[in-house]
Amino acid sequence: MKVTSKKRYPWLITVLTTLGIIILALVTLLIYTRISNDRSPDGTVGLAYAIAGLFFMGLATAGYTLSRRSRKRTVGALNAALNWHICFGIIALFMLFLHSFGNFELVSGTYALFGLVALVISGVIGRILDHFVPRLIAHEVNIALTEQGDDRIESVTRTLQDITTYHKEQVHSFKSQPDLLVAEKDMQAATAHLVSRDGTALPTSWDLAYISLAETPQEIERDAEHYRLVPDRKSSLSDPSALIPGLQEHMAELHTVQQALQRERLYRAIIRYWRVFHVCLSLLTIGLTLWHLEFAATIMFPIYFH
Amino acid sequence: MFKMLKPNPVILHKTKPQVELEIQACIGCNECLLACPALAEPITIDVLNRETIAGPISASVERFTHACYQCGACVSPCPVGLHRDAMMMWLKVRLLKDPKEVHMER
Repeated sequence: MKVTSKKRYPWLITVLTTLGIIILALVTLLIYTRISNDRSPDGTVGLAYAIAGLFFMGLATAGYTLSRRSRKRTVGALNAALNWHICFGIIALFMLFLHSFGNFELVSGTYALFGLVALVISGVIGRILDHFVPRLIAHEVNIALTEQGDDRIESVTRTLQDITTYHKEQVHSFKSQPDLLVAEKDMQAATAHLVSRDGTALPTSWDLAYISLAETPQEIERDAEHYRLVPDRKSSLSDPSALIPGLQEHMAELHTVQQALQRERLYRAIIRYWRVFHVCLSLLTIGLTLWHLEFAATIMFPIYFH
Repeated sequence: MFKMLKPNPVILHKTKPQVELEIQACIGCNECLLACPALAEPITIDVLNRETIAGPISASVERFTHACYQCGACVSPCPVGLHRDAMMMWLKVRLLKDPKEVHMER
């Protein structure tokens, strides 16, 4: 199946339309400046630019909003509406900039124009974010998922549990029954000489006073080289994970995945809240434009309807 | 317009088994594709579902996958409450893991 340019570049027609209208506006401006010296925003051509700018601003705002709410939609219609929304927004900015003719003395008009500039810039930045941020999200998700598409945190946690269980079993094997039996025999041997006056053996005392405070030979020689079991600070054995191989690597992996999830959350928030910011900015710009229209009407009405 | 000022809570990605379950639950009503502002060319929901799970990815689905910007517009119209954005993210990850999977229509 051959892919047409319309399919591959659906924005091409809107880009061409934008360029065409901007060139047309520039040509009219050039012709007008040749034949007239009136370069005020409330002149004939200035007003024409204002009306055209308002028209395109209305199209940009209403077109996309209505398209989103429309029940009768086809696949791809919303994408086309979004492209036209961008096209009309840029044309509106250009037209209203021409309408000003470089006069920024009127506060309401200047604020409205600056609002529109900020709105268009925020839209452009939003489109750039829409292009790059999902790729960053995909990279983070790739870190957070295993090759098979399972949750990496779950996988690492399971491995860590297995390691811990394995080493617990190893440690328990040292405290096995024969060791306890040896200890019990030693205790019996130690208390064998304790007999009562009538010759019967005394039970093992619970009293701590029976324990000698004198140092045993092992205690006396504990600082000797061959009794030194506690590793020093420089020893690799002082590392808590030294006796559990693989623990540190898995903990580091867990940390990496957690950081990837945090970044994913941040990127998603950027996409969403930038859109909210754009909507807020559009409301502000509409408000400023209405203020400027109201102000312009108070000047224009007495002139045209006197 | 005011609805956009109160966006849904940020939902993170889904795992492959979760995506497979969602695709099995999809009733193929096409509402998600109709609500998508990133989809520029006609793609059927069956093709998208099939290529999301496994197998080769066609050029049109690949273009759509790259164009998807995870806005979440496809989630609210779904009558069975599925997350098409999570499915698209899985497709993005698949393309990232093995870009050579794409071979159709080229």
